Amino acid sequence: MNSLFIGIISIVGTVTVYLLTWKLHKRIDSPITLPVFMGSIIIIIGLVIFDIPYDTYMIGGEWINQLLGPAVVALAYPLYQQRRLLKQLIYPVLGGTLVGAIVGVFSGMIIAIWTGVEDYIIYSLIPKSVTTPVSMVITDSIGGVMSLAAVFVVIAGIGGAIMSPFIFKLFNIKHVYGRGVGMGSASHAIGTAQAMESSQLEGSVSTIAMVLSAIAVSIIAPMMVFLFM
Amino acid sequence: MLRISRILIHIVVLYIIFLIGDWIQQTWNLVVPGSVIGMLIFFVLLLSNVIKIKWIEEGTKIFVNHLTLFFIPATVGVINYFELFSGKGLLIVFIVLLSTAMVMVVSGLVTQWLMGKREVPHE
Repeated sequence: MNSLFIGIISIVGTVTVYLLTWKLHKRIDSPITLPVFMGSIIIIIGLVIFDIPYDTYMIGGEWINQLLGPAVVALAYPLYQQRRLLKQLIYPVLGGTLVGAIVGVFSGMIIAIWTGVEDYIIYSLIPKSVTTPVSMVITDSIGGVMSLAAVFVVIAGIGGAIMSPFIFKLFNIKHVYGRGVGMGSASHAIGTAQAMESSQLEGSVSTIAMVLSAIAVSIIAPMMVFLFM
Repeated sequence: MLRISRILIHIVVLYIIFLIGDWIQQTWNLVVPGSVIGMLIFFVLLLSNVIKIKWIEEGTKIFVNHLTLFFIPATVGVINYFELFSGKGLLIVFIVLLSTAMVMVVSGLVTQWLMGKREVPHE
């Protein structure tokens, strides 16, 4: 079988699985049905059953991977949509997001160093609080593994969404902006989706925090790695 | 068919902005990934009305709404790291969750504190 044929099959397969899980997630709104979670698991099971090596699958997967770059560029669009709110809230939101980004990179890195986690895993978990495509390119640039980064991002997203009601209560974070920034900074798109359910405003603030945090972490992460690793 | 070709053109525009960002990153040896630089460029172009959002809204929207598709293949790569999660896995998951909680607390509190007594709009 030539590689073009394999490539087309894996692209069509990936897109089909994605669309199916996307439809399922629209119907059953749960973290488990998130396409990145469910879709990846379905493809992994498929590869294991048919004994297909990951490298073979990536002949086509690489083509989809190529679109990660423009996908990150497209994230300027949600930020642009919220430009009025952004202008109005620039200091509190930027301040909260920046401090959050520093805490996220630093705490993940330091605890992992203390507990003796291997370097390549540390590099992969450092950008866990930002949206997957950005976290993947950050991980790639500091020497981590993109697929591990994706897993840690999903854990941070689902974990944060589940923990958020307790955290907000425990630390008395009542302010809608504080909650929005907390969700977007810690749990990116998954947190934003949940914030959106609380209120449109909280979701919009979370969207801003998510994109700003992605920019902040992409600057902070390489610097911290340079300083501490 | 017209719609599809329009969307494809939009994606090409995003790709070109990404390539410009990548070029800037490599030329000046910056630590920030080229795609993030591209995002900032795109944001500035939109704000300054050099690119009118209407021109490329359709393709951009599809990209943003279906972001997940583009990182599924890389995520599947975790298949090569399964043994990792059986060993230290639980510890690493714990670190990620602990750090996530810290980010949420600190960013939320700092924002709330910076807001001070500013009026909270009600919906």
